[in-house]
Amino acid sequence: MKLSCGKDTLEVSIQGEAALLAGRRVPFRASRTGERLEAIRIGERDFLLRTARDGERVFIWCDGRVLEFRRAGGRAARKGEGALGLAAPMPGRVRRILSAPGDRVSQGDVVLILEAMKMEHAIRAPRDGTVAAVFHREGDLVEAGVALAEMRE
Amino acid sequence: MTALPKRLLIANRGEIAVRIARTAREMGIEPVAVFAEADAGAFHARKIGRAVSLGPGSPAETYLSIPRILEAARQAGADAVHPGYGFLSESPEFARAVEDEGLLWIGPPASAIEQMGDKLGARQRARHAGVPVVPGSDGSESSDDELLRKAVEIGFPVLVKPSAGGGGKGMMLVEEAKRLPEALEEARRVAKAAFGDSRLYLEKLLERPRHVEFQVFGDRRGNVVHLGERECSVQRRHQKILEETPSPALDARLRSAMGRAAVEVARGIGYVGAGTVEFLLDERKNFYFLEMNTRLQVEHPITEETLGLDLVLAQLEIAAGAPLPSAWRAGKIAPRGHAIELRLYAEDPRTFLPRSGRVLAWEPPAGPGVRVDAGVEEGSPVGLDYDPLLAKLILSAANRESAVARARRAIEDWVVLGIETNLALLLAVLASKDFVSGRYTTDLVSRLPPLEDGPVADAAWIAAAVELSSPRNGSAAVARSEPWDAGTAWRVGA
Repeated sequence: MKLSCGKDTLEVSIQGEAALLAGRRVPFRASRTGERLEAIRIGERDFLLRTARDGERVFIWCDGRVLEFRRAGGRAARKGEGALGLAAPMPGRVRRILSAPGDRVSQGDVVLILEAMKMEHAIRAPRDGTVAAVFHREGDLVEAGVALAEMRE
Repeated sequence: MTALPKRLLIANRGEIAVRIARTAREMGIEPVAVFAEADAGAFHARKIGRAVSLGPGSPAETYLSIPRILEAARQAGADAVHPGYGFLSESPEFARAVEDEGLLWIGPPASAIEQMGDKLGARQRARHAGVPVVPGSDGSESSDDELLRKAVEIGFPVLVKPSAGGGGKGMMLVEEAKRLPEALEEARRVAKAAFGDSRLYLEKLLERPRHVEFQVFGDRRGNVVHLGERECSVQRRHQKILEETPSPALDARLRSAMGRAAVEVARGIGYVGAGTVEFLLDERKNFYFLEMNTRLQVEHPITEETLGLDLVLAQLEIAAGAPLPSAWRAGKIAPRGHAIELRLYAEDPRTFLPRSGRVLAWEPPAGPGVRVDAGVEEGSPVGLDYDPLLAKLILSAANRESAVARARRAIEDWVVLGIETNLALLLAVLASKDFVSGRYTTDLVSRLPPLEDGPVADAAWIAAAVELSSPRNGSAAVARSEPWDAGTAWRVGA
């Protein structure tokens, strides 16, 4: 599977007691207590872990660092990814949706309004096109980077 | 002396509500929590035994609603109210309303709150008490022309501040004279909208100041003492993220002079209870009164740890009429060792934008000299409606170097999963040369190099892949192996 962590992405697959990290084979042992993954042993070293999964995201505390991983690609596109994806620039609440799927919009038209940090932010069409989908309803809370709507040329 | 209250309503949420409740229980006082309906799943609402709903609505309609809070106090049969910090803690109307309701107000007199809430008036009072104030306007300026003349006199750049503000809220930086008129107009508009009061004052922008505040305490008999200082110069967006005591910037002489000044300001307004007098220190170690906060501060634990005190206990006893402890009045308390507080915020460590989500895993650090005042637990939802402070980590040790080492170790041990936090920023501050040397000012955070992500460890990639490959987790059903699951035959007694 392709995973992303911050700006890094990597192709990772698990094959029994070894992992393939972008083609590099890394043998490992996983230690669990019940269901909980608590450590990964690579060679002589035990990397202590804590994990928490939230759908297609997983949070990992490893060796004093906290990281967030997700499957790369998919709907929750990071800001900037996806040619005509409109993503939330910051966490907020969808205040008003001004367009519906099928609407033709011009560059700069306000597609929806996000309320964040006690101010309203207009989310605008990056170019002329047709609104293909709106992924949220008024009142929804969204995180930064979450796709709000999609457009077609 | 009146008796201590029996049931204390805590008009707040998060870590401070939990912290106040702990002291109350230790004193045999029953704590009562309040929560907005949307906040019913919050840690403080679940942890404090008796909790009363403030109904539906925004913070303004709940935690900031005097009628709803008083109704909750009635419902719970509370006989005292502690406002915590933020929310209504510096509302003179609230203080009066609580007292009019016949409840014991755990805070200073409403008149003192009012006097210090008027920041321009507070400056004037400090001046009358013989305390130097940040160079600026004195309220006698009645026209923009006069303000402009004053600004030129004190020298640009200047800060335009709302008199009804505080904590840096609503302030504007003006670099040159020609920008002042429009800045005044804008600042008045913002002040009126935010505080209902458009009065402004000017202050000289001090270059690279240090923010040093003093804890003061007064009793109903007119005794006022100070309990030492807290250095609060590590800030982002004008909000503190790390505080320490003693301040590396102060020597005994400066501490004594500033402490005396703080006491004079508090005594001048007949202060009762816990308060904090804030100063700015310039590069030449001149100190200037900035403002006074008429409540308990977020960072009060570092004073507690170095002095071995419980300030909430002191607040409750003094509110009930006890005099300040004689050891305090005799100046017999001296700090031991060093303490640092780090604030854990749910936010992007680079942009400082708040984050929402749910705390999926929560394992705070522990050990000698490690104190965690948390406002969340595993499973707590974190929304955008409230201040994103999740917890405070307070380290104490014999000296500053040990306290810093303890802080680094504790942060590395801290497991917070499910929501982004500023742990990386806190570590960067602790590692910076300026912080370690103790020679830093309020621009420390802005001068840090951009936070770098080191390479992700193989073990972490592997763990992520392992977790994401298992079927979507429902409840964690531990697979037990039953004898009949084994493929091989077995026999009883064999």
